[in-house]
Amino acid sequence: MRLFEYEAKEIFSKHNISVPRSRYAESQQGVFEAARILNAPVVIKPQTTTKARGKAGLIRFADTPQEAAQCFSEIMGRTHGGEIIRGVLVEEKVKTCKEFFLAVTVDYTNAVPVLLGSPLGGVDVEADAKGNPRMLKKIRLSPSEGVTQGQAFEMADFLCAHTSPLPWHHLHEELQELTRSLYRVFRAYDCELVEINPLALTEQGPPLALDALITIDDESQFRHPELVRPRAQSQEEFAREQEFKKRGWTYIPLEGEIGILSSGAGITMAILDLIHFNGGKAANFLDTAQMDRKGIYDAFQIFHKSPNTKVLLVNIFAGLNRCDELALGITDYLRDFKAPFPIVVRMIGNKDQEGRAILEEAGIKPFPSLEEAVAKAIEEVRCVS
Amino acid sequence: MSVLAFNHTTVLIQGITGKTARHHTKNMLAYGTRILAGVRPGSGGEEVEGVPVYDSVQEACRDHRLDASVLFIPAASVKQAALDALRHGIKLLVIHAEHVPLHDAMDIIEEARKREATIIGPNTPGMISPPEKVKLGFVPSAYFKPGPVGVASRSGTLTYELVSRLTAAGLGQSTVIGVGGDRVVGLRFAQALKLFELDPQTLAVLLIGEIGGSMEEEAGELIASGGIQKPVFAYLAGHTAPEGQRVGHAGAIINSASGTTQGKIRILEQAGVSVGRTIAQVVEMMRASLGC
Repeated sequence: MRLFEYEAKEIFSKHNISVPRSRYAESQQGVFEAARILNAPVVIKPQTTTKARGKAGLIRFADTPQEAAQCFSEIMGRTHGGEIIRGVLVEEKVKTCKEFFLAVTVDYTNAVPVLLGSPLGGVDVEADAKGNPRMLKKIRLSPSEGVTQGQAFEMADFLCAHTSPLPWHHLHEELQELTRSLYRVFRAYDCELVEINPLALTEQGPPLALDALITIDDESQFRHPELVRPRAQSQEEFAREQEFKKRGWTYIPLEGEIGILSSGAGITMAILDLIHFNGGKAANFLDTAQMDRKGIYDAFQIFHKSPNTKVLLVNIFAGLNRCDELALGITDYLRDFKAPFPIVVRMIGNKDQEGRAILEEAGIKPFPSLEEAVAKAIEEVRCVS
Repeated sequence: MSVLAFNHTTVLIQGITGKTARHHTKNMLAYGTRILAGVRPGSGGEEVEGVPVYDSVQEACRDHRLDASVLFIPAASVKQAALDALRHGIKLLVIHAEHVPLHDAMDIIEEARKREATIIGPNTPGMISPPEKVKLGFVPSAYFKPGPVGVASRSGTLTYELVSRLTAAGLGQSTVIGVGGDRVVGLRFAQALKLFELDPQTLAVLLIGEIGGSMEEEAGELIASGGIQKPVFAYLAGHTAPEGQRVGHAGAIINSASGTTQGKIRILEQAGVSVGRTIAQVVEMMRASLGC
């Protein structure tokens, strides 16, 4: 769950990380008011969860409230990376003399947080650091201890070493404090990533977070319910996501013709691969742990409503589940609905004889082999189209 | 022999009184696992399938010497339970829970490192050592037979699919480890490979991987450096997975150019690993090579 910049900056402010003065607005009037209150040249920044807003020309500058309102009307409602711009951050324009990059993220390989810093802040920090890895410092942290005094000192030293002359002599101490504050945010909000890019040094005052990026671990959302709301998605998509999440469903729509209903991420991907290797294309897939009668019945509704599902392939390897339950879920569906697609079933494991008998009565002949079922599904697509 | 879990391994079940835990405690006992105790705060003094239940890990450890714990504990509270087990000296933990918060997983793994303990998971069906008649978790044991193949897998259902075919082809298993489908897990492929390398019963290893993360790459580097002499086979799922989306497993996400099956396969093959493009192909490769 990636927060909007303005939300991240509110969190930063609460944790002693300095940010420019700003106001969030969703209307032309709101933008005008915000610029008037800030009483300075402003930056208008669309609030999206996408990257590279600046490169897309969506960040605008305005000297007067009138200009700010004008900028707003030019970018409002436009889309960036498939996301509709619904609001903007109106922020005082800051004159910077140097830009850094500072972040805390997760080193997934070593299962520890990592503090990242670079004296090359700005839009191309990733590319710059790749070209010149000595300009990016990585310090692995203990999750429970966070940034130690020594580590904070080390990072501040690194950043200051590449900055001469130092704009003011407290910078080293301020950077140390900043890294520790950044970790406190990372920890308090169960983050995958907290990033300040650029971190601006100005003529006076503390380093300022000009941009702010916070991504919260999806599995930790229950600890931060106040932050769970639609951002990139529409209200409708968001509601569906939450519903699927509650059910433990992973549903992904694709471009092809074959729907896949399966249990387990690994096997679902393997089926997707098999279909593609054999010249077929998947329409969508639903991965569910609920391979019982009701769970299957409910899952079928999803495919029923998806117009590009031309054939539905169902796979169960029942180690813990039962094939007869799955079969009953399918026959319940066929009793209540007229299936708009042929159904191909691969079934093996617990109670597969019972399941087979139930399905055969309904006119479906299940396959014990995955490869045969996939071949059949592809053949069925050719028959219906 | 096997790795990690043996017939003498003594086992604790945390959260033993839940419906799923009861069911699988029964199955594990029937398979031969030596379950000596269970924990459920407030249920001390009860029994589940003849196993005494304690109010705390501390009390269970007072009465029994426990080597391993299987945690049937929901994601939101698994951290406390795992730390509890680790702090009482239990050296092998199987964490089933899916959706464990990222920071909780990091904290558990950090504590395990300090105490030289092993974490299997989170988000794993567990592990099974057929020659030792022991399973920790809920893999369907009917499809597993004793034999020479060590298996480490990031996916539960894919493990059942592949192992059942190995068994049908006459290739039994020494130990099968579900390392877990999350981005952050305890035991990783490279560590599993080192364990299998030292186990005389294991003659070959099968890695079941998928897109995302770097576990396959680490395994490839270890093998390329000469750290593993036994033949290694691999199957990877997700050749055609959509980019940037989470595909069921939290660990299965491709970000731009990294984490793709193509990249992983290249590194594994350069290290001398035989990689099957399909499930049927890798099973056939193993059958041909291991001579059944």
